[in-house]
Formats: sequence, C-alpha cells, structure tokens
Amino acid sequence: MAQQQKAVFPRDPGLAARMLLTMFLLGLLYVVFIVVLLQAGAGLITVVVVMGALSLGQLFLSDKLALSAMSAKVVSPQEAPGLHAMIEKLCIQADLPKPRIAVADTDVPNAFAIGRSQKRATVCCTTGIMRTLSPSELEGVMAHELSHVKHRDVLIMTIASFFASLAAIITQFGFFFGGDSDDNPSFAIVLLVSFAVYIISFFLMMALSRYREYGADRGAAIVTGRPSALASALVKISDAMQRVPNTDLREAQGMNAFFIIPTSVKRTAATLLSTHPPTEKRIEALQRLEAQLQSGGAAIAA
Amino acid sequence: MGFLDGLLGTKGKLKGAAPDRLFAMTTANVTMETGLGLKSKQCAGVVFQPIATADFKQIVDETEELLAGTAEETGTKVATHDDEYGYRWLILRDDDPDDLVVAMNTVSVELQGAGYGDRLLAAVFAYADESGKQIYFIYNFKRGAYYPFVPAPGTQARNSEEEFRLKAQLARELPWEDDTARWFPLWDIPL
Repeated sequence: MAQQQKAVFPRDPGLAARMLLTMFLLGLLYVVFIVVLLQAGAGLITVVVVMGALSLGQLFLSDKLALSAMSAKVVSPQEAPGLHAMIEKLCIQADLPKPRIAVADTDVPNAFAIGRSQKRATVCCTTGIMRTLSPSELEGVMAHELSHVKHRDVLIMTIASFFASLAAIITQFGFFFGGDSDDNPSFAIVLLVSFAVYIISFFLMMALSRYREYGADRGAAIVTGRPSALASALVKISDAMQRVPNTDLREAQGMNAFFIIPTSVKRTAATLLSTHPPTEKRIEALQRLEAQLQSGGAAIAA
Repeated sequence: MGFLDGLLGTKGKLKGAAPDRLFAMTTANVTMETGLGLKSKQCAGVVFQPIATADFKQIVDETEELLAGTAEETGTKVATHDDEYGYRWLILRDDDPDDLVVAMNTVSVELQGAGYGDRLLAAVFAYADESGKQIYFIYNFKRGAYYPFVPAPGTQARNSEEEFRLKAQLARELPWEDDTARWFPLWDIPL
C-alpha cells in the first residue's frame, strides 16, 4: 500500500541548499589543503596521522569530557522519572534508541547533546532549564537535542573541524618555529595556506553549525508538532541567560557548539562568529513552521 | 533524497507507520489466555500526540464518532484521556478482544488516512496474570512491532525478567521488537 504521509512541514530547500553549499566549500577547501600538504612532503603526513588519532580520540572521549566539564551526572529513571518518561516518548516519535540522560546542577538554563552515534548518545540538561521551562517547552528543547542526535551533528561537526584543527596546529607551529622559512620556501607556502584554511574554515564551520541549529529546531518542531512551544522556550532561556550571573560560564566555554543557546549571549557579537543563529531568527523560523502547521501543511508528499 | 535528507536533517516529516502487524494480537490472544493463564482486562488504548490544529481536532472527533457508530454492533465503549505528558489516549473497552483490535485498527487507519499516521505513538493491550499483576503489550506503529511491558512496584521500575519470559513464551505469536533498546516503557498507563 502506497501510504500517504502528510508532510506537516514541507521540505526546506533553502536550508538544505545553504547547508550543502557550505559543506561543499569546506570539502573543496580541505582538498586544496591536502594537496598542498602532500606537495610539501612526508614530514607533514605524520602531523596528519597524529591529528587523525587525536580527532578520533576526541570523538570517542568527548562525551565523558563534556559531562565532567559540566559536572553533569547520568541519571537513572528513578532519579529523574519525568525527564526519562518525556524523552522515551520523544524517542518513539523520532524513531531513535533511548540516549543516556544526564543532568547538570547549575542555574544556567541550558541543554546539549553529545555522543558519536545514535546508539552512544547522551542528552544533558541543567536543573536551571528544568525549573525555568514548562513541560511542553522542555519537551521542545529535548526534541531539539534529540534532533542533533538524529542528524548525527556531533560526528558531522567533528569531521568538519578535523582539517580546521590541523590547519590551526600548523599555523601555530609555523609562527613559533617558522624562523627558517626563508631557507625552505615550500614550508612558507604550507604555512600561508594553513593560515588561510584556518581562517576560511572557521567561518564556514560557524555557518554550518548555525544551519545545523535551524535543522535541529525544525526537527524538534516535527517531532513534537509544537513549534511554538520551542519558540517560547527560546524566549525564556535567552531572557534568563541575561539575568543569570556568568560564574559557571568559563568552564562551559568549549561546549558552546552543542548548547541550545550559546552561553555568552552578546547582542553585539557578530553573527558570523557564532555557533548559533540569533534567537530572534530562530523564533521567526519556528513561527513560519507554526503557520505552515496551522494552514494544514498543504503539501502532500507521497 | 533519502541520504541527503538524513545528512542535512531537512526531512519534512517523521517516519510513518510501518506495515501493519497490529492484527497479530488476535491470534496471540488465544495462546495468552489458554496457554499462559493471562486474562485480558478487556480494554486497550491508542496513544497519540494531539496536534493543535483545526483539521487534526476534526479528524479525532470524526474517529471517535466512527467508533461510537460501530459500538452499537460490537459493544465497544470509547473514552478519551489526556495524560500528564500531553499525549491523548483513546481508551476502548470491549469483552471481545478481537473487537478491540478492530477498533484500534480503525483509529490508526483514520489517522493515517488523514496523513497524521506519524502522530501515533503506540497501541497498548492490557492483561493481568493469575496473581493480578498488570501486563501490557505495546505495539509501536512506526516499527510495526510489539514488546512486553510489566511495571514493577516503585518509581518507574519494571520487571524485565517477566518481560523477557513473556517474549520467549510468545515468541512465535507476535511480531516482536528484537532491539530491547526500543522497549520504551509507558508509565501510568490509564488502563
């Protein structure tokens, strides 16, 4: 039986296209980078291998590191029954295996997802966010985090950042030990290319990260069927972020990529430099989804 | 577009319902009652995510009316219940277990026909063993598979031993969910 499934939210070709273009540009940049490295000789291959090992290690250890950086504890169903029950239902809807669930005891209202695969994922939220949000808003936020898991964002961002980290290492290495670059012109070229790759890939990665956020918001709206609940959660969180003192934030710096709202919410910070789109933009996008939902989706996908 | 949608996370919809294996319950029911001494509690429930749109409300209303209409022949009683997690239950009561399965199927067919099949969470069949312990069989529409759920005393505790035993005892009777990571509990089932 050819089943008709109403796409309550029609596909977003614009977002898909922007994401694809960003990924393509990153890929292209990295290919150029590899070619230059190969031209420069074997010494750099060692660097690549070492970085590869480090990157793999990061992928496998990042969940434990992130949880301990946030001093978050994995909680059992007995310790957090409501949270477990909420996430279990979302997992049925999203067709995901159940992730581990962790809670960090801090007033900063936030949530994040980590883990290299759908089976090894952990979603974490703070006690602050559980206090701040209503159940349906919290459900929207958790659905957002589960969408990161579903879309394999940790894996994708780790892969995307691999060559950027490599370029960064070479650049720094070159600045410190590059005194003899006059004698070795090929090294000067590598240094220059690395620096360019570092700068350009940084901007591309930030853009990719922002598109993944829109994607996760969208995923949350689809899973819960309540885009407005997530929009309302974003309003509350961003308000609260500005009130809560920043004491805990330094430790949390490295975690920004997978937070629902970056911990340093500065209106003045250039959009280009941030991992998350501005909250107003995210709310606008969610409101468009709500409008599509209310108008019946219209589009019927076979 | 499947792979790209997955990579980009831009899919517009949830996974829909799997091929329908709900009806396996009608034959399994016989083995449960005669072989295992389980008693049907003569009620079952469909749980779904209510969407706050006019046409969704209308479809649910129509489904309830449809069930009420057939109730005159079959004697199935319908009630609704909104749980604390924001999900809605259509609770069906009937002393003929086959009628329960048929009524459940009506609900899923109606929602799927309207394009809202992806909002169906699960169908739940309630049983009790000889000592009166609650036993549930949960059908996940998206995966087209059943799994057992036996709550234990205490906060969100479950009797996994009993669940594994039930699956083994009814191994050939029901299309089981083999991945136990997908045996999601449903706490406080209103049945």
